[in-house]
Amino acid sequence: MKTQRSQDLKWGHLPISREPAQIMHIDLNSAFAMTEQQARPSLRGKPLGMTNRISKNCCIIAASYEAKNRGVKVGMGLIEARQLVPELVLLETDPPKYLYVHQKLANIMKSYSPNVKMRSIDEGLIDFHGTRNIVNPRPLHEIALGIKARLKSELGHWIKVNIGIGQNRFLAKTAASLHKPDGLDTIDHTNLMEIYDSLELTDLPGIARHYKARLNSVDIFTPLDFLNASADTLRRLVFHGIVGDEWYQRLRGYEVDDEPTRLGQVGRQFALDKRTNKDEELLPRFHYLCETTGKKLRYNGADARSIVVWAGLATGERWHAKRTYKESFYTDKEIYARALKLFQARPRHTNLTIMGITCYNLTPTTRNQPSLFEEVNKQEWLTEAVDELNQRYGNFVIHSLNTLKGKHIVKQKIPFTGTKYLDLLFKDS
Amino acid sequence: MNFIEINDRVEVITRFASHGDPAYMIMPVKMRWGKKEIAFTELGLRHPTTKGQRMVHVFDMSDGANDYRLEFDAEMLTWKLVTIIEGES
Repeated sequence: MKTQRSQDLKWGHLPISREPAQIMHIDLNSAFAMTEQQARPSLRGKPLGMTNRISKNCCIIAASYEAKNRGVKVGMGLIEARQLVPELVLLETDPPKYLYVHQKLANIMKSYSPNVKMRSIDEGLIDFHGTRNIVNPRPLHEIALGIKARLKSELGHWIKVNIGIGQNRFLAKTAASLHKPDGLDTIDHTNLMEIYDSLELTDLPGIARHYKARLNSVDIFTPLDFLNASADTLRRLVFHGIVGDEWYQRLRGYEVDDEPTRLGQVGRQFALDKRTNKDEELLPRFHYLCETTGKKLRYNGADARSIVVWAGLATGERWHAKRTYKESFYTDKEIYARALKLFQARPRHTNLTIMGITCYNLTPTTRNQPSLFEEVNKQEWLTEAVDELNQRYGNFVIHSLNTLKGKHIVKQKIPFTGTKYLDLLFKDS
Repeated sequence: MNFIEINDRVEVITRFASHGDPAYMIMPVKMRWGKKEIAFTELGLRHPTTKGQRMVHVFDMSDGANDYRLEFDAEMLTWKLVTIIEGES
């Protein structure tokens, strides 16, 4: 089947897929704001903005529909948001609450198919292939209505989800975005052209400003133009590579987004609560970032060989320093020592606005092999013991003295792009 | 909208239902906080969380005018009123 598709793709003859739509995308839109409105009835119907930490310069990371309808956008600064909506209610995020809603959603989804993928804290998809004859014989539209009802029953009547059904992940996600906030739509070969005709290029998931500009440069202005473009045009002129072939297939309903992702790097960043370049202000926060990075690394059962430390400067410039080591590392002490060496070489002529650390060149851990050197073993046992204590009594119950200040300032952010750290990061956050 | 931090132990009468929507099987009905008695009209959301290995159930409640965040410590078997959000009068 895939070989035939490659042949057709090569000759530019790939027809629109006629496979039945069996992918369901479920999206709790405005999830954090909606969850807060469910929890606190007095917030319902009010414009609500969510942020990680309330401060004058904070930005909105989620907004209720009432706020969105009046122009408040995700990423907008508080000052701008308040200019648009003076009575905007601003709340700090409450991660355990969203984790609970995420788990409820995931459990409901998993009751329909073993093939469920949570794409982020507020969205996921169910692949119904192979389940339709015995487990799920009802039409998917009916199953989707059942999922909506179960969410209301298990979480509360204010909870609404958008559900899209499609032949591939891309079309299912597109369908889920058609009628927010309580939509249910299907896209397949019978209505694909009609749906594309009603959308803008940037309505398509994965097409933002930059890709739009590239498409416009070859006279592609609408999703229908995009669909009618040849694979050769997309490959050579727009995306400069295999990504063009993938878009050619994706737009026609073929699945190209089901490849598992490989962990390439782990890290943390922090937009500074105040612009500074003083060691006494930065190092507690920096050390804390190193410890959370170490925690993520060990959670993934990985060791790293390379590290990059970076910062945004008040002048608008970016700075980074990186180094690769012969020996892999994973303890907090090793990470901090290596990162600190790089961080001390940062420019000193201006303040920092943001800083971050990333470990990469990851390999499966070797930490179960005792070292010949007693000192190395001691360090590893200490890390293991601290992790175990923190697991029992709560994250960061035991931590370096230096991170005490940083722990209270650097708040755990909610990862939007994946779900692999949710359990780890939300403990006691 | 006014957020007030309280963090006081309170007395709570709770209803345990035998059937119905899973979201509303357990619902605090009435709370005594100091000399005040507050009757709840709606359970917004209950969610569990942990403090170390201690399980805590968070109940977001409303009496029709204000919202209340209550925490039930499942190990200590105690109720705490954490915050009040005063609604607009």
